Amino acid sequence: MSEDGLEGIVKELRREIGEDLRHSGPWDRGMQCEVERSHLAGAVGTLIAKHGASMVSMHATDDRQSRGSFALHYLLSFPSKRELLMLSGETDGSFTSLTPQIYHANWYEREVMDMFGLVATGHPDPRPLVLHDGWYKGSHPLRKHIGCDDGLAPERRRYEFNVLKGDGVFEVPVGPVHAGVIEPGHFRFSAAGESILNLEVRLGYVHRGVEKCLEGAPPGRALRMTERISGDNGVAHSLAFCQAYEAGHDVPPRAQYARCILAELERVYNHLGDIAGLALDTAFAVPAADIYALREVMLGLNARITGHRMLWGAVTLGGTRDLLSEADVDDVQGTLMKVGNELRTSVERMRSSPSFMDRVDTTGIVEEKVARDLRVVGPIGRASGQDLDVRRDHPYEAYSKLNFRVPLFREGDVSARMNVRVQEVDESISLVMEALDRMPSGGGSSRPGPPRDGVHVGLVEAPSGELVHIIHTEGGKVVRHKVRDPSFCNWPAIQEAVLGDIVPDFPLINKSFSLSYAGNDL
Amino acid sequence: MLTSMVQALLVLALSPLFTGLIRRSKAYFQGRQGASVLQPYRDLAKLFRKDSVLSHDASWIMTITPYVCMTAVIAAALMVPFITDSSLGFVGDLIVVVYLFGTMRFFMALAGLDAGSSFGGMGSSREMTVSAIVEPTILLSIFTMALISGTTDLSGISRNLATSGLDLVRPALFLALAAFFISTLAENARVPVDNPSTHLELTMIHEAMVLEHSGKHLALMEWSSMTKLLLYAVIMANVFLPWGIATDLTAIGLATGIVAMSLKLLLFGLAIALVESSMAKLRLFRLPNLLTVSFSLSLLAVISYYIL
Repeated sequence: MSEDGLEGIVKELRREIGEDLRHSGPWDRGMQCEVERSHLAGAVGTLIAKHGASMVSMHATDDRQSRGSFALHYLLSFPSKRELLMLSGETDGSFTSLTPQIYHANWYEREVMDMFGLVATGHPDPRPLVLHDGWYKGSHPLRKHIGCDDGLAPERRRYEFNVLKGDGVFEVPVGPVHAGVIEPGHFRFSAAGESILNLEVRLGYVHRGVEKCLEGAPPGRALRMTERISGDNGVAHSLAFCQAYEAGHDVPPRAQYARCILAELERVYNHLGDIAGLALDTAFAVPAADIYALREVMLGLNARITGHRMLWGAVTLGGTRDLLSEADVDDVQGTLMKVGNELRTSVERMRSSPSFMDRVDTTGIVEEKVARDLRVVGPIGRASGQDLDVRRDHPYEAYSKLNFRVPLFREGDVSARMNVRVQEVDESISLVMEALDRMPSGGGSSRPGPPRDGVHVGLVEAPSGELVHIIHTEGGKVVRHKVRDPSFCNWPAIQEAVLGDIVPDFPLINKSFSLSYAGNDL
Repeated sequence: MLTSMVQALLVLALSPLFTGLIRRSKAYFQGRQGASVLQPYRDLAKLFRKDSVLSHDASWIMTITPYVCMTAVIAAALMVPFITDSSLGFVGDLIVVVYLFGTMRFFMALAGLDAGSSFGGMGSSREMTVSAIVEPTILLSIFTMALISGTTDLSGISRNLATSGLDLVRPALFLALAAFFISTLAENARVPVDNPSTHLELTMIHEAMVLEHSGKHLALMEWSSMTKLLLYAVIMANVFLPWGIATDLTAIGLATGIVAMSLKLLLFGLAIALVESSMAKLRLFRLPNLLTVSFSLSLLAVISYYIL
């Protein structure tokens, strides 16, 4: 029935632009359309404005060798429809910017400008996003004629920050090197006294050329690399890549359940770390120590059942490694029960402390409208009324057969983000219990062949939110691998969340977002 | 004269132990084993072996601040009664002690601005905001004790209170003690005012000011801060609850003094660790509320002295 809906939308699009909708057809994730370049921006704009579509991801490909031009690809999802629409169109040199109408197109378009040297005409903020001042002018790393090892002579440019000027307004630069052992990122505050008037986040310090290195990589190597894109989301990243590469190939039922279990175990230890971090950043040392200890219990469990504390290496192409013997199942059940109970006690202690609640209530609010406009995903979105969860909206593996609730809050403050995570830990624990009960016996792995030529998408709910891997394959080889980490969607939101708060509350707000620098910078 | 010098040296030597004790107790409350109570000594020894790095923009203020701070706490240590009630009271009284700490803070704030880093200035401005309310509180609460005992000389206060038994105990004493305890937390960068163990530059108050110091200079800054904390605890012990302090230099008197002091310091250390473990740090803009409460307490202490 929903298929009809998507077909209806495409038909309507055809009525509007006629022959310029060059090609449309079914696709393993919904439908795929190709639009004449002059209508590309218009078509995406219409779909978003009229049909409530939202842009899940957008990327470019350098097809100059095969087709003589670049191409842009928009991955759109529609409310209440499980299928996705991949809208593509050729482009040379420049394309029409959608940012003036669609806020969340902003960073995607800036990334395309940096990586491919295409110009988004009408973009309100065409400064570089990923490329830093040392990059050779005119070189764009994701174009085909630049290899990973080409030595590039740097030419210094100067990045201009957006800062407010005025009497008593101070510019406070923070980072990229911080006092703690955390990832590098630069924060530029404009502050009047302690109040934050403006914040600009500058990232890209851990850009490793992941997408470039993934081009043409053999699948086994690509799997291990994707796992390491953002280490604490390793299962999610490898799962998203597997989903894209397996492209419709069914993995054995046991592996489907095992993958869900791995993904939920990853969510539990990530959320525990984030909740403990909130206590630590408010100097509430006792619950912080208790919950970090629980995280350690989970990491120990991971090591016992997979041999790796962060669960790396457990997901394989076509399934999982041989996992979860009967003894392991008992271990997982026992450990999770204990962790769940102890977390409840610690969270109760945090919530009953007026000094802690005073720190988290009404701090760092992301308004619902802001969250919608920026398309904030994951727990941060769900704390601001954005009811998005890939596990429910685009079920993969065994999620369609499992029962779970998606916690939703509307306050959008640090406290709401904590509540979402606390409830998600509970849900994840019950999900794992159910999956362990229902997991059939049998083999856990299969051998998928190389995918058909074309474009394939992997969509996964990582602990930090909706994660997308898109691969373009030709002759069984991956020619373009686009990674869209949830942090890429959520970083712009922090710039909005801190407005009206004070400088010393920023670290707490940042912790409640718990964004990945590595996943964003690639 | 000699006793007060010995006492001052003792305060300097024991201050890292007191800090170590608080850290160890905090670790215990968190269910951790924690580092040895001697760890602050090792940290200081390590820092003293290192060279100091100075920012290009730093002036002479940055260089002299560690020495000013250290000198200020040593001078204060000479005037505060520790094991015995004899100190260099004839040189300076409680007002001098409070403003020795004031000098220390003034130079620390200047040094915070001097290096030209983005955090130092923030730390300095926050420290000054906090101390604007804390300083009168401390003065008022010690004044209350001066009123009770009839002298502004710190060792005089101890002696009068210790020798007169419970005759001088009044409600004002406890109000003043409460006010002084809150001020001690605020002045020494403890939770809920500041977090001594944070790595988050943007939330720091005291730590932000000393961020630019390194090596020997940092060791002096750290040591003077530890000594300051111990001195506040000693003032709390000997000015507000001086019972047990040695009033003569006999062996029995000294032994009682040492035991009484150790017990009181242990108690205060545990109290600070307990407060730090049982609550979150306050929002910066909520600090004036807490500090005003402590100021009101000290004001009530003075008023109640006259009324009751």
